[in-house]
Amino acid sequence: MQLINSIKSEWLKTRKSAASWLCLIGGLFIPLIFLIGFLYNGETLSTYGEVENVWTAHFFQVWQSMVVFLLPMGLILATSLITQMEFRNNTWKQLHTTPQPYYVIFWAKFIVIIGMTLQFFFYFNLGFLLSGIIPSLIVDKQLPDATFPYSQFFTSNWKIFVTCLPVLALQFLISLRFKNFLVPIGVGLMLLVATLILVGNWEHVYLSPFSYSPLTMMGTPETMKDINIYNWSCYYFITFMVISYLMYIRKAEKG
Amino acid sequence: MYSITTNNLTYRFNGKETVLSDINLQVPTGSIYGFLGPNGAGKTTTLRLLLGLLKKQDGEINIFNLPFEKNRIDILRKTGSLIESPSLYAHLSAKENLAILQKVYQCKPSRIEEVLKIVGLENTGKKSTGKFSLGMKQRLSIAIALMHEPELLILDEPTNGLDPNGIIEMRELLKQLNKDLGMTILVSSHLLAEIEKMVTHVGIINKGKLIFQGTMGELHEAQHQQSFMCFETGNVEKSKEVLKTNGIQFQQEGIQLHMPVLERELIASINKQLVEQDIKVYQISIVKNDLESIFIDLVK
Repeated sequence: MQLINSIKSEWLKTRKSAASWLCLIGGLFIPLIFLIGFLYNGETLSTYGEVENVWTAHFFQVWQSMVVFLLPMGLILATSLITQMEFRNNTWKQLHTTPQPYYVIFWAKFIVIIGMTLQFFFYFNLGFLLSGIIPSLIVDKQLPDATFPYSQFFTSNWKIFVTCLPVLALQFLISLRFKNFLVPIGVGLMLLVATLILVGNWEHVYLSPFSYSPLTMMGTPETMKDINIYNWSCYYFITFMVISYLMYIRKAEKG
Repeated sequence: MYSITTNNLTYRFNGKETVLSDINLQVPTGSIYGFLGPNGAGKTTTLRLLLGLLKKQDGEINIFNLPFEKNRIDILRKTGSLIESPSLYAHLSAKENLAILQKVYQCKPSRIEEVLKIVGLENTGKKSTGKFSLGMKQRLSIAIALMHEPELLILDEPTNGLDPNGIIEMRELLKQLNKDLGMTILVSSHLLAEIEKMVTHVGIINKGKLIFQGTMGELHEAQHQQSFMCFETGNVEKSKEVLKTNGIQFQQEGIQLHMPVLERELIASINKQLVEQDIKVYQISIVKNDLESIFIDLVK
């Protein structure tokens, strides 16, 4: 119950915050570009031509534009913005003098970050659906003919979400540790750019926690065929969370 | 009965530099305890230790007669605090800031309006707290501290940044909370004049050591003990003879003669003797050290 109250309280802090705007705008940005593209050219999902399922083709097209750079970038920014909110407003001391166990404060904060990520997924998928439906309704005056691949839709979303977890956990760890907002952003961006350069050029790129989202869409190369990136995502996620928690609990100065 | 006691509380930064040394605070229940000391004396460090914001190293902290470390949650449930500068979410309004605490403390939603009224911020509407003046932020921080109707209020320099009017208002608010709700208040300040009209008890800290602790009455007693009499006459040498004849010990300070405060009748008698010997008497006065000078003397 205490955790639920704490989550509600943490969620309130995200209202009108830069992170919540980032989540909304970031989620709808790519689908909106596709929607404008379709409407401008008077096209619909049928543009994808002879494919097994136009929805599947559209799904991968939209996600591909997202997962390589914008999704990890958004995760870096949103996680840092939410976690650093306490440093920025000088509110750690206020938070730590409320009658809440430290573990509740820690997990409530991380659960809200997960919640924001899920909200982003919701906006993105809503945008994806609308970017497919609206052009068909306007141009063809009907919904797309193709059957919607529900199973694949949810499985792919789940897989992409799992690949986000190590990035979220690492950014959470750095943001909790460093007061300076530039440190988590800088470290995150540096790792992301380095990973993107190495994807496709280095057989051990899977060692980078930032590689899993791009690899989901780009496909794992032959040299990595024995590597399960979802398992690696989970290992990293657990490791980073354990380090974050120990670091947070043992911090001698709590505000 | 004490709301806060510490026994030999000691704290070192980086395990080396001693910031607090054997602090034995005793804050009586129902009191307004002024915790005084110059900047850097160790006031904020003490208060942060009391609230668990710093990890205790040596000594004991008991709040409501319970060891803090083992009863942190229960103690914080009954304690409101404001440490140094205001802690507010700048992108949210006053009500939204309080709503965050309302969810944590699980107090009734109407409490938000109540505390805003207490601190006079009920008409701030949707204005984000980032646009508040420092005085408004300070008052909202007090509202946050009062949200859960605490029994104990720990305030670190709550009048920082307030104009004289704001200081008077804050003082009246704290006195009212203490009187009407029986709230124990521990308030720190580096200015004695700022809190002497409000506090019932005082603790003076300097260079990490508690150098005075007692009631305001006891501090006034110390003030009385440091008072002295001053005679200023037209002939110092002759006046000294008169004082010697009457068996009074004195010290010469320039053209003045200083001595302990004398009985009324003796003052009149000496004055008469001086006049009879044709010595002009320009001044007979009692010099009282104000509390500020005592405070400065103590922390020298």
